[in-house]
Amino acid sequence: MSIDQREREFMERIHRGEKIEATDWMPDEYRMLLLKLIHMHAVSEIMGAYPEKEWVPKAPSLRRKLGIMAKVQDEVGHGQLLLRVAEDLAAPLGKTREDLVSDVIHGKVKFHNVFHMETKSWADAGVIGWLVDGAAIINQVALLDTSYGPYARVLKRICAEESFHMQHGENIILALAMGTEEQREMLQDALNRWWESLIFFFGPQHVTKAAQRMLDYKIRTKTNEELRQQFLNKYVPRIRSIGLTIPDPKLRYDEKEKKWIYSEPDWEKFSRIVRDNQGPKSQERIALRRFAHVEQRWVREAMMRSRDKLAVV
Amino acid sequence: MERSEGQGLFDVYEVFVQKSQGEFHTHVGSVVASSPDHALYMARENFLRREPGVNIWVVPREHVHATPYEETDFFAREMDRKYREVSGYSENGRLWRMFREKALSIEEIAKALEVQELQKRKSRKEK
Repeated sequence: MSIDQREREFMERIHRGEKIEATDWMPDEYRMLLLKLIHMHAVSEIMGAYPEKEWVPKAPSLRRKLGIMAKVQDEVGHGQLLLRVAEDLAAPLGKTREDLVSDVIHGKVKFHNVFHMETKSWADAGVIGWLVDGAAIINQVALLDTSYGPYARVLKRICAEESFHMQHGENIILALAMGTEEQREMLQDALNRWWESLIFFFGPQHVTKAAQRMLDYKIRTKTNEELRQQFLNKYVPRIRSIGLTIPDPKLRYDEKEKKWIYSEPDWEKFSRIVRDNQGPKSQERIALRRFAHVEQRWVREAMMRSRDKLAVV
Repeated sequence: MERSEGQGLFDVYEVFVQKSQGEFHTHVGSVVASSPDHALYMARENFLRREPGVNIWVVPREHVHATPYEETDFFAREMDRKYREVSGYSENGRLWRMFREKALSIEEIAKALEVQELQKRKSRKEK
């Protein structure tokens, strides 16, 4: 069968709403787009554990400590599940799990802008759980009907656990919002710090060429801007309801256009942060990741030697 | 033989979790691990952080034999299979009515047994 015909048949499957599996034939472009998306998703889950783990020793109570610890563990767990999916896509390209894991150490894979930022106070931990996870959930729920079966299945589990993260974050926020004047100020400060990052999180407003191809392949079914609008719809009223001020004087809902008008984030600044790992915490967190991966290599190798010895006997 | 990490150090294991003894093991995903023992721990940490479970199987991926997705003929339903299904016998309701009776379903029988069991327990308590 010629490649053209295979591609035609593949697109017919996509249009019929069929799911593609790891062992199915797929166009190289489809594989590359998926791999890039899932690899970045996996690495972002793992790098997302770092800003929060900083608050495990400093959590204000034992219950909070247990809650945030569970969340950190979930993020790493999600990274593991996603790496499995990425690994199977990467195998025909000769890329191994080791490549996928160490790419972040060598700056060869990007991770979400929000995980390059500082978490200055306990309220930041709350805002991450509430709004960063809230934004991530909107992204991930929109991906649930992705055309790639293995990704869709893993996302189902991830979304179920994210709903705990959402409640966890909201609980921290609500406690602060009902607290002292100082706690409410801390919360407002955190929101001021995170707002621009959150607006950037969904990506550029225009549909890039790669994004259009992902829509064609039904890897994604919603555009960045549609997701950002969803986020504003869901969260602006809630943020305001607890007495917080959103640090954007331009923000308003346009009844005529039926959409939110907002100040654009500094696209160039955040792109640089993500592309060159030049955020306030990028290098420190990548160094921690390198330490964890490289310094524990001997453990993984010892486990393999022990297995191989058993196999010989 | 020693393998370097670049060659993909660990093996892939498919994971099956049994939620309770009344249920079958269900495939939930896969992990990478250095040994079956290690895979069992990885499976517990990846898939049972919240959900209950009573048993886990891990199976080296290459030991799984599967039908290819492309071979849809394997699952072809070329004939009407109504004769194998409950819906193929919907006329029973009408036929039973001719004898002034109703059609009976498995669910009704199960329900009746449940009610009977409750009554038995209740009367035992009263004694």
